[in-house]
Amino acid sequence: MRIGPSSFLIACLCVTCLQGQETVAPTANEPVGPARGEDTGDYNVVQSWEFGYRYAMVGGDEGKYRSDVNYGNGTRLLSSYLTVHSKDGHGHWFDEISLTTQGLGNDPYESATLRVQKNRLYRYDMQWRTTDYFNPGLVTAEGLHLEDLTQRSQDHDLTLFPQSKIRIHAGYSRNTEDGPALSTVNLFENEFGNIFTLFSNVKREYNSYRTGADFDFFGVKLNVLRRWEFYKEDTPYSLGGPSTGLNPTDGTTLTSFNRSAPIHGSTPAWLVNLMTERRRIAVNGRFTYSGGKNNFILDESAVGTGLAGTENRLIITYGDAQRTVTTGDFNVSLFAKDRITITNNTSGDNSRINGNSWYEQFDLASLSGTLVNFQFLGIRLITNATDVHVRASKKLSLFAGYRYASREIRSIQSVTEPLTPFANVLNSQYDHVRAGVAGLNWIVTSALRLHVETEIGRNDNPFYPISEKNYQSIDARLQYKFKSLFATAGYRETYNNNSITLTAYSSHSRNYFSNVSWTPRAWFSFDAGYSKLHLDTAGGLAFFAGAPFATLQTGESIYISNIHAANLGARIALRNRADLYLGYNITLDTGDGRSSLLPTGTISALLYNVQTFPLSFQTPLVRLTIPITSKLKWNAGYQYYNYHEEFGLYSVLQNYHAHTGYTSLLWVF
Amino acid sequence: MLLGAQTTPKPPNQYVGSVVCKTCHPDVWLNFYKNPHYKSIASGKETPERTGCEGCHGAGGEHVDSRGGKTTIPHAFSLMSPTQILDDCLTCHLKDVSKANIRRSAHTDADVVCSTCHSIHKAQTPKFLLASTQKTLCYQCHLTVRAQFDMPSKHRVNEGVVNCTDCHNPHGTMAATWRTGIRPRMVSQAPNNEEPCLNCHEDKRGPFVFEHAAIRVDGCESCHSPHGSMNSKLLRRPVVYTVCLECHNGAGTFGVANAGVLTQSAAHNMLDPRFQNCTLCHVRIHGSNADQFFLR
Repeated sequence: MRIGPSSFLIACLCVTCLQGQETVAPTANEPVGPARGEDTGDYNVVQSWEFGYRYAMVGGDEGKYRSDVNYGNGTRLLSSYLTVHSKDGHGHWFDEISLTTQGLGNDPYESATLRVQKNRLYRYDMQWRTTDYFNPGLVTAEGLHLEDLTQRSQDHDLTLFPQSKIRIHAGYSRNTEDGPALSTVNLFENEFGNIFTLFSNVKREYNSYRTGADFDFFGVKLNVLRRWEFYKEDTPYSLGGPSTGLNPTDGTTLTSFNRSAPIHGSTPAWLVNLMTERRRIAVNGRFTYSGGKNNFILDESAVGTGLAGTENRLIITYGDAQRTVTTGDFNVSLFAKDRITITNNTSGDNSRINGNSWYEQFDLASLSGTLVNFQFLGIRLITNATDVHVRASKKLSLFAGYRYASREIRSIQSVTEPLTPFANVLNSQYDHVRAGVAGLNWIVTSALRLHVETEIGRNDNPFYPISEKNYQSIDARLQYKFKSLFATAGYRETYNNNSITLTAYSSHSRNYFSNVSWTPRAWFSFDAGYSKLHLDTAGGLAFFAGAPFATLQTGESIYISNIHAANLGARIALRNRADLYLGYNITLDTGDGRSSLLPTGTISALLYNVQTFPLSFQTPLVRLTIPITSKLKWNAGYQYYNYHEEFGLYSVLQNYHAHTGYTSLLWVF
Repeated sequence: MLLGAQTTPKPPNQYVGSVVCKTCHPDVWLNFYKNPHYKSIASGKETPERTGCEGCHGAGGEHVDSRGGKTTIPHAFSLMSPTQILDDCLTCHLKDVSKANIRRSAHTDADVVCSTCHSIHKAQTPKFLLASTQKTLCYQCHLTVRAQFDMPSKHRVNEGVVNCTDCHNPHGTMAATWRTGIRPRMVSQAPNNEEPCLNCHEDKRGPFVFEHAAIRVDGCESCHSPHGSMNSKLLRRPVVYTVCLECHNGAGTFGVANAGVLTQSAAHNMLDPRFQNCTLCHVRIHGSNADQFFLR
């Protein structure tokens, strides 16, 4: 529980919220107060600042709540908005400043964007974001790796002479990820050994620098970009203290462990793009090249007891991994007549990933040997797509296309041990895909539009059992717009069958969706939607299981998801004295209708219990806004989250409910 | 007399300048200096057909002479076909790489063009003149995607920290370099032509000595549902072992060795709970520099 009942009561009295599940700064985009701002000298300034207090009271599985929602308590600058515009377009230092922020002051999702520009001279764009990522070691998906990380990203882009025929660009991006985490390691006897929990202090850092220029001469545009990227990971791992491991039936123990595994990489890259568009033809060509490289060392020492007695192991791995990627695209559009557009795109991509890794494992009493691993993965992909778009009449357009792809995968694995010769194993295979698309856009009446699109594809040699092989899809959407009423309804179906002699895989999804938005009066608006997402898949399995000894088992992995998602929102303005928003979202997976699981411990249960995962996630919300003056408004919001699993896959339910909300003052001037 | 009327040439439509437009359209003009298109007026160096109101709508002489009326506007966007709107906007806006594929984009095929999402005179967002917030615009058509972002495990689009355009280019993209290059069609690429997931998840990017080939060959969607999922970690299945075993079943000629994707070890008794959590040991499942089985 994060706040006391009294605080919650006060907050409940101050009800609020907004569209969808968004609780952050919901009023920033509303026309509040004089939207034209105030004139200051040669500039016009518009500002909006929303300060408030956010609260959360969580019951049940707080870890799952933090994974899904994560709002907490505290004061926030919930949102802000500032624009400064020169009135004549001839400001001294700038003509525009545009700044927006969200969630500053410790919300789990904070962001800010800034644009500063002076006409003809420069344009600067900045985006900054931070996210609190929490993975509590969830039971579903069996993610036992706990992480409590902060992810930060920032992008800066400067363009000089943005309106001229020669534009110069420079940019910088930086992403970081840090925080405590738990990981695991399997030691001493591989699958017969034990598993130990490791502590790590995650430190990842990515920096990207770029510069380039655009040239525009005689209608031909040339874009050149040079980029350098650097990645650094310096996450140390350690054991908190002597451990008997996660497997109570295994006698392997660990008394000390240290691992250092720094990775430093760089990726220089080029991008060149050339395009032109004339009355009857448009041409676009692109070439990119990047050469990524990672240098790494892993130094791991472990002391403990294994099946053979005392273990004192040192593992050192070092080497580098490289990836060069070369891509070319050529795109031609022919405007054969005013009503017909034909485009053809040919693309080629060649990725070569190779690395070498010297793996040395010592028993410190007797050197056990050296293993040299080398692996190469090469992917060559060529695609061609031809599309025709015909505007048959003012109300009807038709389109059709044919796509072809040819792909080659080459892989080399080689392993050297002191007592075995160097062995190269080369594998190579190809697949070819042929697909056709067709569709139409039809303005049935001035208010009614229909869009239908179909696709059918065939892959002669998919690389994985779940890859697309024989697939087809249809997507149909009907839109009705009359005055303030906007309605959409549609259907989408995708079917993939990748069955072979020994196993079968098929995936069939059927989606139905509809939405209605209506604003009959200035003081009332309404929005409601419903989607049904149905998915059923079946895939062949082969695995080892049994008691007392594991034997080869075959079976079928069936997964049935039957999701009903609905959203409802209504806004009511009460005679300029208050603005009330009511909303409700529910996502409900009814699964295949079963109400219980089999007792665990049998092979039947192993498959049966994970075939469906019924649960519900619902969030009713309410928001109230009351104007105090023409420039000041008081807001309050409340949103309730309820996550409910019908049955835990491992007899553990991660259910939670949470009361969240805020109260704030919005100042616009 | 009739002959005379037929031979009298119609006077050419004249450019009148944006100030004239202000007379009848003060609501548009009043805040137009905040509009990025005001640059064409502030510049003072653009030709009449590239300046202010007439830069987009064409010469206004006839419209003025007729005292208004949509049909007298050479480029009245509400009367124009989607292709004409696209042509008009691209006259100026086809200069950066991000719009290089707009002619072959799925949006263009579906007659979703500039004015479907952008509003020049009533924009809700100053930066890109969007008619509404980005997610609201996308949700209007992509209702199933909206449903996915309302699921418990999702990227934070509704929370405002992730945008659709972080992963997608609504103006069209180059052919994908993962999967078979044919689908998906509106997913933009990370700097090195990789999946956009790697823009933020750099630790999964590598290069690794031992790549999990499925990621490079068929992409992150082999295991994850990128928009949202009822399952944790955006996984396609509620538990890890079915995600893994559906490929690792040794069947057919799948996999890089043409002999089926490697089955699990016979020592992995799936009735033992610790073997049901594959990533408990295979911790570097996205790729490893030290171990071909992703153990460290």
